[in-house]
Amino acid sequence: MKKYETVIILNPNLSSKVETFIKEFEKLLKQHSFSINKMEDIGRRQLSYSINNHNKGHYLIFNIEGDSLQLIDIENKIKYNESIIRHLFISVKEHSGEDSQLLIDSKNKKSDSEDIKEEGDEKKESNIKKTKKEETTDEEKSSKDNKEEEQENLDEITKEESKEEEKDE
Amino acid sequence: MSKYELPKKFDYKNVNLLKQFITETGKIIPARVTGVSASNQRKLTRYIKIARFLALIPYTDMHT
Repeated sequence: MKKYETVIILNPNLSSKVETFIKEFEKLLKQHSFSINKMEDIGRRQLSYSINNHNKGHYLIFNIEGDSLQLIDIENKIKYNESIIRHLFISVKEHSGEDSQLLIDSKNKKSDSEDIKEEGDEKKESNIKKTKKEETTDEEKSSKDNKEEEQENLDEITKEESKEEEKDE
Repeated sequence: MSKYELPKKFDYKNVNLLKQFITETGKIIPARVTGVSASNQRKLTRYIKIARFLALIPYTDMHT
């Protein structure tokens, strides 16, 4: 028995049929005597690059446990499922049992979008303030960099001077 | 070096963390620049490559 982590990216157009897909997939896992320790439905997410002309994908993460030989059969069946645009099985030593960072981020995003609907004007104001802060920090950084460069230049100058002194001697 | 501190446990799902260790063009930043330990750098490269495959972070900035 080995522990695996499975990530499946579904076709975003079939987002409404996700629940049926999950049931089918769980059935498939049970047929191959796999146990599901955890299931995470992360939801639709922007892809960093387009896969098969899809710009969004519905991410699902499963923590499963089972036999490695059975996994090959599962993968062969998944390969030709057109609703899956990408899948990955990774073997892991331990399942963390906690919510993954992806799920937490997606939850935060959802709550953020709700806030924007309710308090859109306030958000805008705070954003403006944030951007101002960022500008100031950038300026500070650049000033620091300049200082460092100046120091380096000074060091070089002193070295050159010392060399000249040596020549004079 | 506070900018490049790594938590004890992290994996390919910590997208925001991994994004700190790639350039604007998507390249992995070498450890000699970030000051990450060798073992952590090996983990980082592995997880960045997995995250790229799952379209969580880009391979390059030239994706059409």
